Amino acid sequence: MTNKPESLYIHIPFCDHICKYCDFTKLFYFEKYEKEYLDSLITEIEHYHINRVKTLYFGGGTPTSLSDEGFERILSFATQYLEDDYEFTVEANVENLTESKLSIMKKCGVNRISIGVQSTNDKLLKEIGRNHSFEDVRRVVSLAKAQGFDNINIDLIYGFKHQSARQLKKDLKNFIELDIDHISIYSLIVEKGSIFYSQGVKEQSEGASRRFYEIILKTLRKNGYERYEISNFARNKKYSRHNMTYWKNREYYGCGLGASGFVSGNRYTNTKSLTEYNKHNFVKESEKVSNKDSLEYYLITNFRMEQGFSREEFKQKFGQDFAEMFKDKINKFLLSNLLVITPDRVKLNDDGLLLMDFVILKLI
Amino acid sequence: MHYDKKHIRNFSIIAHIDHGKSTLADRILELTETVSQREMKEQFLDSMDLERERGITIKLNAVTLKYHAKNGEDYLFNLIDTPGHVDFSYEVSRSLAACEGCLLVVDATQGVEAQTLANVYLAVDNNLEIVPVINKIDLPSAMPDMAKREIEERIGIPADNACLVSAKTGLNVGDVLEAVVNYIPAPLGDDNNPLQALIFDSYYDSYRGVIIMVRVKEGKVKVGDTIHLMAANKNYLVTEVGIRNPKEIKTDELCAGEVGYIAAQIKDIRDVHPGETVTLLDNPAKEALPGYRKMNPMVYCGLYPVDSKKYLDLKDALEKLTLNDASLVFEPETSQALGFGFRCGFLGLLHMDVVQERLEREYGLDLILTAPSVIYHVYKSDGTMLALDNPSKLPDLTTIKEIQEPYVKAQIMTPKEYVGAVMDLCQNRRGIYLNLEYFDDTRMIATYELPLAEIVYNFFDKLKSFTKGYASFDYEYSDYKVGNLSKMDILLNGDVIDALSIIVYKGSAYERGSVVVRKLKEIIPRQQFEVPVQAAINGKIIARADIKAVRKDVLAKCYGGDISRKKKLLEKQKEGKKRMKAIGSVEVPQEAFMTVLSIDED
Repeated sequence: MTNKPESLYIHIPFCDHICKYCDFTKLFYFEKYEKEYLDSLITEIEHYHINRVKTLYFGGGTPTSLSDEGFERILSFATQYLEDDYEFTVEANVENLTESKLSIMKKCGVNRISIGVQSTNDKLLKEIGRNHSFEDVRRVVSLAKAQGFDNINIDLIYGFKHQSARQLKKDLKNFIELDIDHISIYSLIVEKGSIFYSQGVKEQSEGASRRFYEIILKTLRKNGYERYEISNFARNKKYSRHNMTYWKNREYYGCGLGASGFVSGNRYTNTKSLTEYNKHNFVKESEKVSNKDSLEYYLITNFRMEQGFSREEFKQKFGQDFAEMFKDKINKFLLSNLLVITPDRVKLNDDGLLLMDFVILKLI
Repeated sequence: MHYDKKHIRNFSIIAHIDHGKSTLADRILELTETVSQREMKEQFLDSMDLERERGITIKLNAVTLKYHAKNGEDYLFNLIDTPGHVDFSYEVSRSLAACEGCLLVVDATQGVEAQTLANVYLAVDNNLEIVPVINKIDLPSAMPDMAKREIEERIGIPADNACLVSAKTGLNVGDVLEAVVNYIPAPLGDDNNPLQALIFDSYYDSYRGVIIMVRVKEGKVKVGDTIHLMAANKNYLVTEVGIRNPKEIKTDELCAGEVGYIAAQIKDIRDVHPGETVTLLDNPAKEALPGYRKMNPMVYCGLYPVDSKKYLDLKDALEKLTLNDASLVFEPETSQALGFGFRCGFLGLLHMDVVQERLEREYGLDLILTAPSVIYHVYKSDGTMLALDNPSKLPDLTTIKEIQEPYVKAQIMTPKEYVGAVMDLCQNRRGIYLNLEYFDDTRMIATYELPLAEIVYNFFDKLKSFTKGYASFDYEYSDYKVGNLSKMDILLNGDVIDALSIIVYKGSAYERGSVVVRKLKEIIPRQQFEVPVQAAINGKIIARADIKAVRKDVLAKCYGGDISRKKKLLEKQKEGKKRMKAIGSVEVPQEAFMTVLSIDED
């Protein structure tokens, strides 16, 4: 690919506290680490010689756990890469999305905020290691709105072992009342490396998880949210342009501790060791994506989208029409129950999306 | 290079698995400087990787060694190796028939085992002089006196002159060589008699054809002779004779008493059976050497490539294997479920395992094996008999008068405290009790007749686990008996899967049916719809379990764009699919085909 990536992800690994389900690269926030980390981060970003990007995303960890100075320093540094028509997202936690953080964001041109809410049940929030209450959520959302942020996402996690369908419905009702345009909903996955994993916490059963997902889909659709990706819902076409880069299998820069990126046909993952990172040994693993892998990546990503992918684009990339290439397997494994193949596009239907891994495993 | 008969010793080594036969052979090769240290791979005689890994000898080998004895004279030793497993007992008897004596290796920490016993009796039957060797005396737990006593009391041969050695360290191995000279008789035979040479092994060479290993009993053979195989009734022109040390060394002739190889442009290994007598066309022997028997496969299974495109590769590989293995037979067969493959016959389960592993390892094939089956004799109402090697081919019930199945006579030696458990196991496997006797103060031998079909699947594993590994087991084929038998079919999604059909004993059919469907339910991956697994006898469903449908199978969490990780997870799952065969729309893993033999929950 000769075109340079049009998206940039920047990872801020610090957190004020550690959530029990989290397995991402994170460190307890200590002021002494901040400056050196940001120095290294800037060096890493600069070495890519980025021209301009259309989407910029600060994720974590918790970007808002930085000091106001550090926060402003890194945000304003990154703005130099933004094109005119950009999307600039910052992830925030409820506890540290302060007025001063909000005004720094405003000043630096941030136009999308993603808030990790996870649940609206205070007891559950406590159990999963979150220090906020739903009252706090209401407060910061209106604060952000008051500052003029009109593109807000909140994250929800479902599928805790003892969570009832009633609790889930209550969460959804509360979310909808916040009157925001974007909701991301993930089922709890107890990943190695999380506190839950070490505590032996179990995920809910597959059947229950499916039931919960169906409740979510039905409720959000009824309230005007469009599912445009398996875990993402938007009103007023406020899709996350940045995340669509991933789901369309397009290239992006990924910078920061433990971040991953996709540049010049290479998928890479950065080191998770702060010491190594500060020695500027950024990339830990890198893989040149082969043709065969490229097909797998294409399906893994594009199938997540409600709209699937264009047959024309597929044919251009892989030299053969999708329906032709997989004719035997589609017939043999009765995948036509799960796939929708129109003259223009290929996508998974509602059942198919829930069995995406199953479908991909039959195909590859 | 020519030795008179007085200075030739032909012998083999008998030992239980792990008692140190191969290690002792290695030390002997070293001591006689037959194989230099540099060439010395551990356990030279077991030249296949597989043999080395499993510590067993599958294919026989013979080597000629030179030994300078303490009496100042030079001797020629022919060490003929024997396979150490019951599948190959006929071959053991043929290699013993090529010898005048044998070394009986007994582990000083274990004593005499059932398998040793069986082979010693073969040696006694062949009138061999037996030299006891007590091995592993370097171990702290060694009890050489106990081992000696056991040899005397249980086998009934004197052991006061037994060599006490450690093959591992080489301690006293020299004594063994002296004992060979002093106790094992020199071969008899007259070079001037008509040729009688016993074939005890053969191997294939792509330039010279089948090379046969022989022990010349009477007469002599040289290049240019036309040899006659008496049982096969075939003639061949000898192009080369020689000895192996273990590399081939050409000689002018092979004379009575000697062991060596003959190359005679023999194309097909199936013309050459162990036990066959070689004579000369011009001056034939009056009669063949005794003991020849044609070996028939005892266990059959279907072999199918996972990828149907590999059918010809599999055929090719099987053909190559049979060049060196006359006891492996195969013919094409077709299964509705599995497509094109082969029905293969083996001497026993170990043989089957070895062939499977060689096909997978040496030829890189992914295989589906159907459950091993014995050969049933199906007597039909019209008086004809069908030898059934594939359960799915059982004819219509109304045409069958009775079904007979093969039995083995099994001897199980066990410490007496486990005798109850052993007898329970044999009873559960439809064993017919024959005898129970004390072997010594602590051990007993139980003798049962057992249906071969009942021991093909995890009998040995069970026996070992019931006796904490102490029992040993040996069997010989006996005869066919009428059985109360029926075909059990397995249905997936309502369709009979021919490759999963087995013949079962009616008395335990219900129990087995429910175990099998439950196990299949566990190992067959879920589909997008519910798949019933049923067991049926004569079209009547006797057990059912449902493979639930996949409800949700998506790792939706994927922030930060770390898609590589997600792909790795998928790759891992994909690996597991490699050995699955799609039957209809259901993918069935390889192990499912063995699962039908499950008898209980573990």
